[in-house]
Amino acid sequence: MLGDLLRLMAESDESPLVSDLARSLGVSEGLVKVMIDDLVRRGYLAPVGTGCCLGGCSGCAKMKGDCSSVGCSIPVGRRFWALTDKGQRLLQPSSSRA
Amino acid sequence: MEGIASTSALNRTQDESLVRPAGERELTVALVGSPNVGKSTIFNLLTGLSQHVGNWPGKTIEQKAGVHRSAERSYRIVDLPGTYSLTANSLEEQITRDYIASQRPDAVVVVLNAASLERNLYLVAEVLELSVPVVVALNMVDVAERSGLRVEPEVLEAALGVPVVPVVAARNQGISALLEAIDEVVGVAPRPSCGRERCYVYRPRLPWLGEELEALIGQVESLLGDEMVRPYPRRWVAQKLLEGDREITVRVRAQMEQKSWATLESLLLAHEDAVIGLASARYAWIERMVRAAVHRPRVSAFSATERLDRLATHPKYGVALLLSILGFVFWLVYAVASPLVSLLNLGVGEAASLVKLHLVGAPAWLSSLLADGVLGGVGTVLSLMPILVVFFLAMALLEDVGYMARVAFVADRFMHGMGLHGKSFLPLVLGLGCNVPAALGTRIIESPRARLMTTLLVPLVPCAGRLSVLMLVAGAFFGPSAPLVALGIVSLNLTILGVSGYAVNHLLFQGERPVFIMELPLYQLPNWRTVGTVVAQRLREFVARAGTVILAASIVVWALAWLPSGTIGDSYLALVGQCLSPAGALMGLDWRTVVALLSSFVAKENAVATLAVLSSSSGDAELVLALPRMLAPAAAIAFLAVQTLFIPCVATLAAMRQETGGWRWVSAAVLYLFALSFGVGIVIYQGASLLGWGV
Repeated sequence: MLGDLLRLMAESDESPLVSDLARSLGVSEGLVKVMIDDLVRRGYLAPVGTGCCLGGCSGCAKMKGDCSSVGCSIPVGRRFWALTDKGQRLLQPSSSRA
Repeated sequence: MEGIASTSALNRTQDESLVRPAGERELTVALVGSPNVGKSTIFNLLTGLSQHVGNWPGKTIEQKAGVHRSAERSYRIVDLPGTYSLTANSLEEQITRDYIASQRPDAVVVVLNAASLERNLYLVAEVLELSVPVVVALNMVDVAERSGLRVEPEVLEAALGVPVVPVVAARNQGISALLEAIDEVVGVAPRPSCGRERCYVYRPRLPWLGEELEALIGQVESLLGDEMVRPYPRRWVAQKLLEGDREITVRVRAQMEQKSWATLESLLLAHEDAVIGLASARYAWIERMVRAAVHRPRVSAFSATERLDRLATHPKYGVALLLSILGFVFWLVYAVASPLVSLLNLGVGEAASLVKLHLVGAPAWLSSLLADGVLGGVGTVLSLMPILVVFFLAMALLEDVGYMARVAFVADRFMHGMGLHGKSFLPLVLGLGCNVPAALGTRIIESPRARLMTTLLVPLVPCAGRLSVLMLVAGAFFGPSAPLVALGIVSLNLTILGVSGYAVNHLLFQGERPVFIMELPLYQLPNWRTVGTVVAQRLREFVARAGTVILAASIVVWALAWLPSGTIGDSYLALVGQCLSPAGALMGLDWRTVVALLSSFVAKENAVATLAVLSSSSGDAELVLALPRMLAPAAAIAFLAVQTLFIPCVATLAAMRQETGGWRWVSAAVLYLFALSFGVGIVIYQGASLLGWGV
């Protein structure tokens, strides 16, 4: 199921929504979110973005780019996940991995 | 295989024999659960005042234990640390699994949040693998019901094969039933609700892992000796090794002969992604449990969001809606803020006249410094505040109701369509507010070359400072058509960004188009307190910048416009400006507007401050009235295009330097943007000249 989620994501022409993935996998959105968290913990996905707000640069500038802990109001950084190298490797055929 | 009796097509079952008679001795019951599921509330209800609090041996994690006494027997209750799983990623997880495996409590109560079963059932699957008697306390059923979920405990009980007791710990409901279920699972008494007989045979259904994984686990198990895995079940250890559990791996390796370890290690390495299969099997099991036991309302609370999203995330209508909203924001700025800006401008002009009047006897330079330099510069920039209030308020509202996440989704699709690399997109979205976090945000891109090129694109996103200058100048020139002009300039910016992104993608990423998973939050009514806080914070930053950087820059510009003779025509600034005037003339700009563009290097709003200083030094008290006398309409459009594409402010350049590791590439970016902005300005003005419009 986790592999299917990664495969669906990688084969998508455009960035899929959690709800799209839930529909495709035939599971609830809640379970997709739990699986995403799990894949992040295991290093196959990584949250991307800085978590900074659209305005107000001073807080982010103070954090020298590590904006995830600033707690700015726009949540883009906490709602996007990308495949990591480990995730990419998992999706490659085992022969090409070797 | 300890504790495992048989397998079925979908579920494996635990051996009933692990339920052992307790006799009259004190029963030990461990409470486990994820954080915030109400585990501590249940512990407090069970133990009352008879609690002992200390630390786990050798650890800094709090250990809580207590005693519950009923008429028949007493229970020693141990509150284990909150954990989502039993992989030793944290001290809490390690303590929990070590306690269950080594102390073998008579029963383990897994506390679940009924409103979030998907998140909590993974822990149940893992605890069941430790072959201990399990009771599930289904807490917060009231919360689940309030959010429209109906969980059927008896169905979940049948599906899991272990007792499931609905509990509302916050209201002390279901605790007696929980104790009865513990008595039953331990084997000391049947539940009264079931009469004299036990309700069912205790036979937990574990996730079915599939033949391939079962065979692999069997292979790993065969390499493990009994001694090296104690106190854990061998099968559990085999699974943890395949999951790459560091603590178990270290323990097994320390006890194995080198040759045997090499065999095991090569087997594990050959199946390093088996963890995905193991976890997937557990999620498939969770899905079956949830599908069986949880009923969601047909007309869900999400349907309004879904209906709105059909429009907001539509490939065409979504972009149209975004442009419409942006156009509406510009119209709002023009309709609400521009009259206030004119009033404030008038006020600044009056204040400058008053200063000059009161300083009649003072040195001329002092009067000019305060009236033209300070009030003309900073005062005019501060008069932009109504524009910024409307702009920040609109953005904060859109953000708070949840629309900005849709903007990100639509923009991502739009940029993918233009060929822009997905990871370049997020920093660019951030740039809409301020280019500084956008430049810093480029570090999410792994490739240094790609990061560099994206950093070069960041200044092409119009920030709030540029937008405020855009609205002021557009309002002064084009009146009611200002929102359309502003939208046109922003669209031009985004088109140039798209074209540049296409080039970057094909040069550096060879057309690769990685995607994200995105989550859209539910729409919600705005929280005015949050919105107000965000707007106030951003205005504070703006005022602070006006009182420091812009004030200093205004004084420098004034000094250069005053010295050496006190007349602007002979000033050093005029000298510099006249050197640049040939370039300016190609765009229809006089030397004052070229100098204003250059001064925006300090801060984008400084373009307005400089224009105000230079116009008041020339005798015009109000910038809004002076602007149309400075430029022809075609030149004004060229000026707006140039100032939105021009080199970024110094703070953005510093952030770019930080990300690119030196000034070399920043200098290249400055040259590129300088050439690009002037090139576009020249094309616009010369094009208009050829058509005979607005010159």
